[in-house]
Amino acid sequence: MNPLPMIIADLRALRWTAAAIVALVALAVAIGVAIGAQERALRQASARAADDFDLLIGAPGSQTQLVMSAIYLQPEALPLVDGRLLNELVRDPRVAAVAPLAFGDIARGHPVIGTTLAFAGRWGRVQPSEGRLFSREGEAVLGADVTYGLGDKIEPSHAIAGHWPRRGVADAEEASHRHEGHAYVAVGRLPRLGSPFDRAILVPVESVWEVHGLGNGHAGEGAALGPPFDGQRIPGVPALVVKPKAVADAYALRARYRQGGTMAFFPAEVLVGLYRTLGDVGQVLSVASVLNAVLILAAIFLLLVAVTGLRRRRYAVLRALGAPPAYVLLVVWIGMAGLVAAGCLVGLGLGAAATLAVSGLFEAQTGLRLSFALGSAELAQVGLILLLGSLAALIPAALSYRGSITAGLRG
Amino acid sequence: MPASTVSERQGGGVRPLHFSGIQVDHRDGDGRLFRVLDVSDFVVPPGALIGLRGPSGSGKTSLLHLAAGFFLPDAGSISWGDLVVSTMPGAARDRWRRDTVGFVFQDFHLVPELDVLANITLPASFSGWRQTSEQEARATTLAGRMGLTDLRRRAAVLSRGEQQRVAIARALFNAPALILADEPTASLDPVHAAEVGSLLVEVAKESGATLLCASHDPVLLARMQQVGMIGDGPFQLKAAA
Repeated sequence: MNPLPMIIADLRALRWTAAAIVALVALAVAIGVAIGAQERALRQASARAADDFDLLIGAPGSQTQLVMSAIYLQPEALPLVDGRLLNELVRDPRVAAVAPLAFGDIARGHPVIGTTLAFAGRWGRVQPSEGRLFSREGEAVLGADVTYGLGDKIEPSHAIAGHWPRRGVADAEEASHRHEGHAYVAVGRLPRLGSPFDRAILVPVESVWEVHGLGNGHAGEGAALGPPFDGQRIPGVPALVVKPKAVADAYALRARYRQGGTMAFFPAEVLVGLYRTLGDVGQVLSVASVLNAVLILAAIFLLLVAVTGLRRRRYAVLRALGAPPAYVLLVVWIGMAGLVAAGCLVGLGLGAAATLAVSGLFEAQTGLRLSFALGSAELAQVGLILLLGSLAALIPAALSYRGSITAGLRG
Repeated sequence: MPASTVSERQGGGVRPLHFSGIQVDHRDGDGRLFRVLDVSDFVVPPGALIGLRGPSGSGKTSLLHLAAGFFLPDAGSISWGDLVVSTMPGAARDRWRRDTVGFVFQDFHLVPELDVLANITLPASFSGWRQTSEQEARATTLAGRMGLTDLRRRAAVLSRGEQQRVAIARALFNAPALILADEPTASLDPVHAAEVGSLLVEVAKESGATLLCASHDPVLLARMQQVGMIGDGPFQLKAAA
């Protein structure tokens, strides 16, 4: 038997109802897919951004705030840790590398971060995509999305609390807090990292100290950049990034610098807490989206039963012409299951589009690049909707061939 | 070219149709039983053209539905030759109907979204995945016999007369040995009714099929060999006027 001609005829006859069913299923699927994919993408992107930050040390305060400022570059005034700690950590045999992070300046809305050459190259993991890394004071290396070009002069300004500048634009507020007489020259650009550092300008920490009139941490002019800092006065910094030699060293360092006027922690600890909260929110949203899907499926089921009832005569005619019950069942079931399947496919596309759109907005806000990927959970959810929809469609399909032909012909 | 031949028939040759001791009861609004049909013995000889006449609600349609095996009588039996249709299981009765019966409805019951050709060949889709070239040729011949030239027009845009011609072609597509027509001209104007009635009788004669036709149309009933009277006393056959 070949029920396709009748299925196509049925879909043509019901085109508006069919479009409504596809739209409703697509909506249910898209909401579920978008919520699941977005949450996972956010976890992955935020974890990726924290990859090079094994251990953070800062002044006692909020760990979350330090993570947000040091890794995600969300501007906030933070207390400083004593700069001499840098030298102590450099000498510590458990430390593979240490870098200061000095923030608080902006240029055209891009955060200017003072650090070391080693950290600018992410401990040797990253090579500039253009030019080179900085090698002396007054040089800068640009993140992938920074609007300056190589060779451009970069004039930093004080970032002001509560002022959220537009990226790439030096507004009047920024201009009014410029560090007069100080400028950097862009000498290189980093490849895309998918993190907020893509929009940051990295400069030697010595330059940041100099710009703020604190010296450069070294004893004499012409000293090599980076630690050790042998100056009379080593200025403080908001955060230190430490790369321990081994896991045991990491725990020992964390324990050591949790006391004595400092705070030390693994950013992953903070992220796990954030993910737990995010996961709770995600679970609530997932349950809401499942309930939403159930409601929509129930509405579709009632619609299918009503539509099948209206088409009782048509199916009775098929039986009267000699169609076997299986033919009528397939006409109704394949048609309806096909609509649910089409809705699932459209929903996957809509979900992907919604996720990409939200990701774009999120990236514009935070610099975190969220990449869309369908996970097994979303696919399982779509599969469940398809399965339930197809099973539900069996009921009107069975009703349509089990009725009396004579009663059906009467309408 | 005849509309069908004995060799094309899937359900075998034309046989006598025998209604024996038929009783059909329904319940009224108060739940009380009332008799819709009471036919003690009615034999339709093979190839006969029999009209059924009677007032509305007298059971003409019920008799046709019984003959097609749409439902079973409360008492009595319906036989097609030596096959007792009324005792067949549902699936076997469906198969028998598909192979033996062509039904023409008063309201045509075409599929408006399908074209003329697809409507005529619709019964072929009940048993095969692809239409054979013979099936298409047969549908084209039937359509030509019915005066239908444009096979790609959708049924929804046909006139009522054209729709009933398509419905007759569809009923004849499987070369049925038994053609059942339920008031085939009732919803047509007199000119179209005369054309369609004439065609129906002609193709039944050409094919040698038995025709059982319920109608109020005296012109159509006059074309039959005999007319059965229902609802006005016991069922009886009379020669057509």
